[in-house]
Amino acid sequence: MNNVRTLSLKRFHWVAALLVLLLGTVSLYESSAGAANNSPLQTTRSNSGTPNSSIVVKNKAGTVTKYGDGAIIYKLPSSALIPLGKALFEENCASCHGTDANGVPANGTAGAYPNLRGLGPATVDFWVVSGRMPAADPRSVQAGRKTGRLDAKQALALAAYVNSLDPSYPYIPTPNLKTANVSDGEALFSLNCAACHTIEGDGDALALDTYAPSLRHIPAYQVVEAIRTGPGNMPRFTGNLSDAQVRDIVKYVTTEIQHPNNPGGFGLGGLGPVAEGFVGLALGVGILALVGFWVGERQ
Amino acid sequence: MSDEMEHRTPVSLANVRADDPHLQPAAKNPRRVEQVIGLLFVLGIACFIGFAVTYFLDAPAWTYGATLGMGLFLMGVGQVAWGKYLMPRGPFVEERHELASSETERSAFAAAIVDRGGGTVKRRRFLFGLLGGGVGIFSLVALIPLMRSFGPQPKGTLFKTNWKKGSYLVDSTGRRVQVGDLGIGSIVTVFPQGFENSENGQAVDQTVLIRISNEDVVTGKGRETWGPHGYIAYSKVCTHLGCPVGLYEQQLELLVCPCHQSQFDVTKAAIPIFGPAPRPLPQLPLYVDASGNLRSQNGFDQPVGPGFWERA
Amino acid sequence: MSTEVNTERTKKQALGPYGKLGQTLNELDDRLGVAKGGRTFLDKIFPDHWSFMLGEIALYSFFVLLITGIFLCFFYTPSQALTIYHGSYAPLVGQRVSEAFASTVNLSFQVRTGLLMRQMHHWACDIFVGAIVVHMARVFFTGAFRKPRELNWTIGVTLLTLAIVNGFIGYSLPDDLVSGTGIRIAYSIILSIPLLGTYVAFFLFGGNFPGTDIIQRFFFIHVLIIPLIILGLVGAHLFLLVRQKHTQFPGEGRTEHNVVGSPMFPVFIAKTNGFFFIVAGVTALLGAFAQINPIWQFGPYVADHISYAVQPDWYMGWLDGALRVFPSWETVVFGHTIPWEVTIPSVIFPGIIFNICYVWPALERRYTKDYALHNLLDRPRDRPKRTAAGVAMLALLGMTFIASATDVIAHFLDLPLNDVLVAMRILIIASPFVAYPIAYVICKELQGFANAGKRKTANIVSRTPEGEYVSVSAPHYEDDVHNELEAIPVPKFVVEPEIPESPGGVRTVPR
Repeated sequence: MNNVRTLSLKRFHWVAALLVLLLGTVSLYESSAGAANNSPLQTTRSNSGTPNSSIVVKNKAGTVTKYGDGAIIYKLPSSALIPLGKALFEENCASCHGTDANGVPANGTAGAYPNLRGLGPATVDFWVVSGRMPAADPRSVQAGRKTGRLDAKQALALAAYVNSLDPSYPYIPTPNLKTANVSDGEALFSLNCAACHTIEGDGDALALDTYAPSLRHIPAYQVVEAIRTGPGNMPRFTGNLSDAQVRDIVKYVTTEIQHPNNPGGFGLGGLGPVAEGFVGLALGVGILALVGFWVGERQ
Repeated sequence: MSDEMEHRTPVSLANVRADDPHLQPAAKNPRRVEQVIGLLFVLGIACFIGFAVTYFLDAPAWTYGATLGMGLFLMGVGQVAWGKYLMPRGPFVEERHELASSETERSAFAAAIVDRGGGTVKRRRFLFGLLGGGVGIFSLVALIPLMRSFGPQPKGTLFKTNWKKGSYLVDSTGRRVQVGDLGIGSIVTVFPQGFENSENGQAVDQTVLIRISNEDVVTGKGRETWGPHGYIAYSKVCTHLGCPVGLYEQQLELLVCPCHQSQFDVTKAAIPIFGPAPRPLPQLPLYVDASGNLRSQNGFDQPVGPGFWERA
Repeated sequence: MSTEVNTERTKKQALGPYGKLGQTLNELDDRLGVAKGGRTFLDKIFPDHWSFMLGEIALYSFFVLLITGIFLCFFYTPSQALTIYHGSYAPLVGQRVSEAFASTVNLSFQVRTGLLMRQMHHWACDIFVGAIVVHMARVFFTGAFRKPRELNWTIGVTLLTLAIVNGFIGYSLPDDLVSGTGIRIAYSIILSIPLLGTYVAFFLFGGNFPGTDIIQRFFFIHVLIIPLIILGLVGAHLFLLVRQKHTQFPGEGRTEHNVVGSPMFPVFIAKTNGFFFIVAGVTALLGAFAQINPIWQFGPYVADHISYAVQPDWYMGWLDGALRVFPSWETVVFGHTIPWEVTIPSVIFPGIIFNICYVWPALERRYTKDYALHNLLDRPRDRPKRTAAGVAMLALLGMTFIASATDVIAHFLDLPLNDVLVAMRILIIASPFVAYPIAYVICKELQGFANAGKRKTANIVSRTPEGEYVSVSAPHYEDDVHNELEAIPVPKFVVEPEIPESPGGVRTVPR
């Protein structure tokens, strides 16, 4: 193939120009989409009204006669924490949520930030102990789990204080996992949770800029808080799931999802066929093609 | 090695002499290569024996594949190395014979088919026509049991669900849903009572019940009574390809189908606002009876699920 | 004593020069007449360029599929009848699942090497289809599908289709949540076919979805019907290959009328058998260390359950991606619905792709007006239009494949899901139009360099009197085995061209 050929310069600036144009358009679109951000903020959710009947049972006088069915113990945070909570609130939360925790900051407009009154201590505790609040970026579409600025005790104090302004349910839960049925938990997880969090519990991107977070590192009681309070875009599972059912789901999450049974080898990130395809093609066909390169001859 | 091959002219196997360099191994040091291959084979055999050992010792599952795989791999590498480095290195040449036959053969072949065959057909054209027609009709008729016995005709099956006037909404455990059960932002999968355990019921009747407020919700004209106390019910079968639309984002008030990310606006009769779904999810009209149970006023007003030819 | 020796020698002589084995071969030839054909077969020459090994990856992974599949058949129950799971995996104990699912979980946990066989089977399938695609690309880009091998190309494309279909049916057999969703989607796709859709769907499934028959029917198709067809077609594929002989790249001593390489026996058989072991070994290692399709984590298929991030196996990904990006166009004409958003991406689009593959040899013949026989291959760079067309097709299919993972991409790269989908729509439409010119220009450019892609040899550049630059590749030295650059001495003298005297003393340069 030693063909003699005229050495002349090839100019393919037009190809490069086309590429730059295309990439530029796409990247411009991307960056503008991020900045515009017309997705709704985490809006205020009005109080749900009467807590459902199977969890909190009140008598005619209005006093609670039964709370839960014993599978989960609910406790109100100690009122001794309220002063600490008030101090922490004024320092960390009032600038956005207002000194009255009703979502009206000092120099802002009503409804700009969520109203925290009447949502129950578990709601506040979940947002703070998971590190989502205080928010890293108040204008982001969805706050993510991160190492919290405030520890668990401080979170409880905040919960106690905010709840004291307008007491409601649910209280801080402690699930009793000893008697949980992991098989029922799997079936319930599959029906109620897998649609967003995936059946492997890894989470995934949802509509617009929201996402369902991974469940691989969440403590048991926070799972209950999330299920019962429905943080952000997550639905609230109230009367349609009994405490025993919620406890079973928590057992499934804290065992199978957080300690998966992978007898077949590396779990490949639990991404399913996407990861398997990459491994099969890159490792499988790739390695075999390389071996073929050795077996055969090069010319 | 390949460069050296380029400089050896290919020789035919038929008349190669025993001392021809083409028959020599490619390796510069065949003894060394032989030792390496032998080592590979020994290791491979050791892996195979290891496989048997792990099996009988009930070792962790990965050890079966590791030993079997390494054994096969090593034996394979050894064989390839033998063929590549120790066997005659060639290259050898072989002439391709013309694929096409000679002209006389081709004429005879054509004659056999065209003349003899054509002649037969010409003489008995009527019989041949009947034979051809018979075979054709057989092939059509033979398809009938193959296809028709397989399943029923669709008829009106795709147009119906088991939701009727007054059906109780029950969850997957069979428990009736009461008006106080769900908080705002809650979702539950419901079925008509009696069908929550049947496979067909689960596939066709599955419905999501969402509560978006405390007051009655109107999702469109003519649907003023369909959403009592803030409860709305939509068919869970996606109108794109039938996946269960179980993904609800309560603040965006969007039902998202997990399969291909169609997004349905819950407050506007589940109209798809993004994604490939073409039609809104059919809505189930609800009412609350005297005991506080949620029930359906009627079945769905259109077929649920993906589109098909007979769907008007 | 001497009589014994004599008997030894006469016995040996009686056996002939090839001994006992030779006698056996003679006996065989007496009965079957194998000597002539057998020798021709053993002497067959196989060109052994490395890119010819890709088809062998496919062939041997198919054998691995057959062997592991036979093992699996003994333990799998192809039935949708419901049973209570009582095995060793706690999260499923007590649940009502189908026999198919329960038997697969039991195979994975309770049968020793059961999980290994299952995973080897699944990995071998991914590798099988991948190798077919890579092999098909090699055949396409080197023009090996031209006369007389068009029939082999047709058989090959059919094999690809069957492999994909059988793979889909196969991973649907365990009746788990993820693959069951795929079956639901397949049912809806069949429904969407105009005129016949509902009838075909009801006949295939025995009624409305899910019915109670489909797993059993899939089992039969997956285990018997399609493998038999594949076996037959592979046999025909190999028979044609042996009859027409393999193609080869042009090179020293290689012409349109010969084959240069190594003989079938012993060299090729040793290498190919070794390669079989290697393919099986790599598949076994993958089956040992990389978990695939952990159906116990997915749980049984229940019609109202669904998981997020459910993509099909990679070779179906291009269809899933096409379904995701297609706009929601549906028309109702005269009381009949045509769901274009389903029919176009999942029926018409793959139909067009496969038909392009089928008619390509005829298309190329018509376009290039080349009706000759070809036993020598093209280097892809020497056919820039064909290569660019192939690259454009691969770009399109690659983009639709990537589009099936929009949610995973959005999650990994922290981008809004809706925007990723719109970006994929743009990329899918634009990619063939971008890939074609890029590939074309690269081919043209590579054509200019004699040893492009290899270690460079020296180029001797000289200039003609007209001012044109001419470059010639220097030959490599005898000992320069790796074509390392060794300085070629500059000639001490440059031969100046003859310049004719012109009247008047002005120097003219000949044109």
